[in-house]
Amino acid sequence: MTSHVVPAGPFDPPDVNWAPVSRKLASARLSMTAIVVGVPAVGGAVAALLSGIVWLWVIPGVFVALGLWAAWLIPRQVRAVGYAERADDLLIRKGIMFRSMVVVPYGRMQYVDVQAGPLARAFGIASVQLHTASPSSDAAIDGLTPVEATRLRDKLASRGEARLAGL
Amino acid sequence: MSEPLASSPTPDEAEASAVVVPADLTWRRMHPVTPAVKGWKVLAVMLVIAAQQFGNNLSEAGQLLHGRTWLIAVGVIVAGAVVGFGYAAIAWRMTRFAIDDEAVYLHSGVLFRQQRKARLDRLQAVDVVQPVLARILGLAELKLEVAGGTGSGVSLAFLNEDDAGVLRTELLARAAGVRRVEGAVVPPPVPEQPVLEVPPARLVAGMARSGATIFLVLGVIGLITAVVWSGEFGTIFVMVPAMFGFVAFYWGRFSREFNFRAAISPDGIGLRHGLLESRSQTVPPGRVQALRLTQGPLWRGPGWWRVEINVAGYSGVDAQSTENVLLPVGDRDQALVAIWLVLPDLGVVDPRALLTSALDGSGDEGGFTTMPRQARWLDPFGWRRTGYVVTDRALLIRSGWLIHRLVIVPHERTQSLSLEQGPVQRKLGVASLVVHSTPGPVSPRVPHLLASVAGELMTEQAARARTARASAGPELWMSPTGDS
Repeated sequence: MTSHVVPAGPFDPPDVNWAPVSRKLASARLSMTAIVVGVPAVGGAVAALLSGIVWLWVIPGVFVALGLWAAWLIPRQVRAVGYAERADDLLIRKGIMFRSMVVVPYGRMQYVDVQAGPLARAFGIASVQLHTASPSSDAAIDGLTPVEATRLRDKLASRGEARLAGL
Repeated sequence: MSEPLASSPTPDEAEASAVVVPADLTWRRMHPVTPAVKGWKVLAVMLVIAAQQFGNNLSEAGQLLHGRTWLIAVGVIVAGAVVGFGYAAIAWRMTRFAIDDEAVYLHSGVLFRQQRKARLDRLQAVDVVQPVLARILGLAELKLEVAGGTGSGVSLAFLNEDDAGVLRTELLARAAGVRRVEGAVVPPPVPEQPVLEVPPARLVAGMARSGATIFLVLGVIGLITAVVWSGEFGTIFVMVPAMFGFVAFYWGRFSREFNFRAAISPDGIGLRHGLLESRSQTVPPGRVQALRLTQGPLWRGPGWWRVEINVAGYSGVDAQSTENVLLPVGDRDQALVAIWLVLPDLGVVDPRALLTSALDGSGDEGGFTTMPRQARWLDPFGWRRTGYVVTDRALLIRSGWLIHRLVIVPHERTQSLSLEQGPVQRKLGVASLVVHSTPGPVSPRVPHLLASVAGELMTEQAARARTARASAGPELWMSPTGDS
């Protein structure tokens, strides 16, 4: 399932089954982008139409270009996100251009958050965030189905409890 | 104890629902002089506001005070004092604390009540802090850090100096797992063995050779050039605010790190320092999450090092705080002692040889794995120095060309790990490994390793951290059974 983005290398350790996140995350992020980019693009287009100044079309043009770039990028980004539950730790991988892979030992988790904003709820997705004693552990998985998010949270919590050490 | 012992009032039932509080606790209050020490804050704030309003126009302030207006000023000051001291007095009435074998309980707050329970098995550090005024009056603040994020610590302010010391001993004993028998005498303070001392002359010399001095000298040279070149003497005043900054920096450092002493005891590392505000910290064994040794270019000659540590609970965000300093300035031997305080066993046969190559060496001497040659453009001067070595107990990360740095992370203190790679790094076939530690001055990172090496290191470190944690000492460091 990882053939389309990942060449072998440090970000593809052996014997790891990466679980992808829901494609709905791409839809949710695209809608968000559509709002952020679409409103100024329409506004710019209206302004250019009404004023009749030709170079004003640059503004909607730039925003449309941004939107197209995002439309190309976001689905790829979402496909690049993966997570894997291993025996003792959770792996989260993301990024195409700037890649990162974080490994969070279950025994190090302090607590687990499940969050879903209004847009995410509309698309039926939620995000799970793991917290360790370090604020720099950026261990969040966006775009899980609510069922999967709940399952993951419960599983992580029980595994964390079983292995919890001090700091 | 001279502490006024409150007659153990049972907490309000409705309040008690938030935090489960055992019923048989002995509640105590802070020292009755506390409001007198704390009440000055309102006046201080008023003074600051006044200074901001009139600071740059003293004559205007003088004019304002003519006629009857000074009466108003006095009235405002009196009102401020009444509010300040009155509030502090009520707050004192509302504040009480208790301890048992498991936790410290603190009830406080006037309008918004707060009940806090700090678990002693999560204790990360205990500090006794004495601001100037408290020091004169023989009072002290006892601070407990329990690693629950910012503001999770418990501050008991103010207690009688001696009581604070006794309480600290007692808390550490309980946190160490020594159960207290009811009615038994308080255990005597554990004997301390002094190991490090920084004389004032060394501290001053260290500051004189610090990076700030380089900037100061460069600034003065630049200023003189500007004055000579422009011929206008007024240019000098541009530097006045910067000068204040430098004076504040030097003074702050000097006063906070004055008379720095470190000692070791069964309760862990003891640190004492401070000229006006004195601070005495106790960090129990195994609470140091990471440490960093730093050597600026001007410290290279005398071979001095500064050692800083990450301790969960010491936020370290505030640049003004010295709580993260293990050694402000010391020679090589002292720096090695500082490392030994944290990690008595480095997990190698010859730790001195390893640390020598870790501190001054470059290349692969001492078993270091450095940045590959193809990535040298990412760090043209330091690429031979930047590297890591793994021992049985810790990960050592060496870096820096102008400023030498050595970061040491004990395996069992690794929180999580991450591997990062940007587009340029991918082209060069390298990746960076980041080790996540608790908040503090040290953020361990091995940059630009060969991608395969970095990937392997991540897998190995995850495994090492797991096995190290499994065999690590108990949280209750004196408990014979342990709880790990």
